[in-house]
Amino acid sequence: MNYGYMGKWLKVNLSSKEMSDFDFPEDLLRKFIGGKGLAVYYLWNYAKELEKKGVNIKEMDALSPDNILFFSTGPVTGTRSPNSGRHHVMALKSPLTGSIGSGNTGGTWGAKLKFAGYDGIVFEGKSDTPVYLSIIDGKPELHDASEIWGKNTMDTTKWLQEKHERKRAGVSCIGPAGENLVPCAVIMNEIHRAAGRTGLGAIMGSKNLKAIIVDGNAKPQIAKQEEFETKVKEHVEKLKENGVTGEGLPTYGTAVLVNIINQNGLFPTKNWQTGVDKEAENISGETLTEKYLISKHPCWGCVVACGRKTKVELGPYKISFTEGPEYEAIWALGGSTNVNNMGAVIRANHYCDIFGMDPISIGSTIAAAMELNEKGLIPEEDLQGLKVEFGNPDAIVELTWMAAFRQGLGYWIGEGSRKMCEHYGAPEISMSVKGLEMPAYDPRGAKGIGLNYATANRGGCHVTGYTIAAEVLGDVDRFTIEGKAELTKTFQDFTSIVNSCVNCLFLTFALGLDEYVEMIGPITGWDITADELLKTGERITNLERMILNKLGITGKDDTLPKRLLEEKMPEGASEGQIVELEPMKQEYYKLRGWEDGVPTPEKIKELELEI
Amino acid sequence: MKIYIKVFAHLRKKYPNVNDLNPLELEVNKNTTVEEVIDKLNFKLEEIHLILLNGKKVSKNQLVEENCTISLFPPIGGG
Ligand code: SF4
Repeated sequence: MNYGYMGKWLKVNLSSKEMSDFDFPEDLLRKFIGGKGLAVYYLWNYAKELEKKGVNIKEMDALSPDNILFFSTGPVTGTRSPNSGRHHVMALKSPLTGSIGSGNTGGTWGAKLKFAGYDGIVFEGKSDTPVYLSIIDGKPELHDASEIWGKNTMDTTKWLQEKHERKRAGVSCIGPAGENLVPCAVIMNEIHRAAGRTGLGAIMGSKNLKAIIVDGNAKPQIAKQEEFETKVKEHVEKLKENGVTGEGLPTYGTAVLVNIINQNGLFPTKNWQTGVDKEAENISGETLTEKYLISKHPCWGCVVACGRKTKVELGPYKISFTEGPEYEAIWALGGSTNVNNMGAVIRANHYCDIFGMDPISIGSTIAAAMELNEKGLIPEEDLQGLKVEFGNPDAIVELTWMAAFRQGLGYWIGEGSRKMCEHYGAPEISMSVKGLEMPAYDPRGAKGIGLNYATANRGGCHVTGYTIAAEVLGDVDRFTIEGKAELTKTFQDFTSIVNSCVNCLFLTFALGLDEYVEMIGPITGWDITADELLKTGERITNLERMILNKLGITGKDDTLPKRLLEEKMPEGASEGQIVELEPMKQEYYKLRGWEDGVPTPEKIKELELEI
Repeated sequence: MKIYIKVFAHLRKKYPNVNDLNPLELEVNKNTTVEEVIDKLNFKLEEIHLILLNGKKVSKNQLVEENCTISLFPPIGGG
């Protein structure tokens, strides 16, 4: 067995109910690390197998039994290295976008999967009746899930922990949205943490897989224990000393970004019609902390604790306990919609958690519906008396639960903004890339994040290459396009490493590539260098792109909504700006060794991806 | 002349009621620099990570303008 790993992945065929263990050889582990990297490697080979069988994967329905789900940890997950309670989930195809399915999540589940004795799980096929998987102390078992089918994520989690008499077991599950095959559905773990993007929950629902409960006492072995402990101490020290990880995130959570992004004029408001929200203060991290916070809540092994336990004490959205919302959720549900009512945002976010949906896609699609309605494009009968208008708090709360249960206009909200806007005849109103709703930074105010949105493999995503850290929170000129290709590529490749380790991306505010070498080296015993590691990140990003190419996605899809390319930002600190995408994109392709969004044979050879 | 100050995150420990909707009004002389304003507000320069003057990023040596808004941020991040 290799150090850092449990040395076992589980394959579950839900059609035949067969289960078997498998492992990856050391050279592959070193080439792809774990988490996202290994998942991408597995998906690539699986796609080739499907093609050999004559399946046309471009046409394949993401909800067909041919799609697979890959849950994976990495060598850092579940060790004493800080913030390592995370895992990554991938699917060959997303039901929301038609591109690759991918989500990264915190909580405890990733670490507990390793304690249960496994590094990862692959699900193939489709069960004819609802089932759930348990892995307790190394023993995987499939069970009938008819008693929990229909339950929300909170009740499902509690039911499973009681049934297995493991109050602290990790539970990943879907809520009603996943069961109802809503394309914006997520896989939730520990009730409030989500593998949140690209509709992974609907894939789980399509397979009749309700949940996975994991627990045990096994631990990954560390190759160089003493050196590892020294480095852990140093890294924790750096995290404590850093202003972002030591003070900003612990005190205010991710919502601390609301004000700074808004003051810089790139807080997308009214479905990205402007970058200034005049009342964003009401939904800021400072307001959340002052009026709604119960306490902080860390993921497993986390020394930062950006998670929030919250409540709404008064008013129509009263709730005695929930978690979140995160910055992106606050923005999508409360900023993009111009609602600016924290109670309503917390309530809608709570619905996303317990019914299992992505608040970014849901909030952003509601905002698109508000703009469609403003332009008179939604027929009266579809509105069913609901005031789908910017600033209406009831609209976000109502439409969120309606999306989970596919009620009325909620049906289209759950389908995501691309399909909804096409349905109502105005596709340009969808603020998405490759069908995935973009998150909370208008790239007219930070050009690098625009290039990242356009080129990110999973679609409109900020955490694929979070250039905001340099452009708004750091010292890089946010308006220039110079140097943004390299900045974006570096952020993307580094993030591929983080998501393969797997630990928390927020570490990277304080820890760089050298510190990642200091983690992976002592854990695995490999004499790995920073150069090798960055190459590994590049390899993972490229192989993921090669899967996209198989799905028919190329340079034509690496673009942004017209609004960002043509409409000048009308006001505020980013006034007059558009995104000059094309020159950045061409420079990026050149740096990447891609032609029109496709890795060249030379690049594929250089990265040892002729596999 | 009058200028307006907004402070964010931990900087509000010193000014709990000053925020985006309720800026602090300050009387300063012409030729005052941002650094002097920071000092007048009793902040240490090291506490300030980002300074915006009417939304535009500026350095501590920038001269303030009549009726301008200065936004002050400590190091913060998220995502
Ligand atoms: S910083 Fe936040 S997201 Fe990251 S591990 Fe800690 S609590 Fe989880």
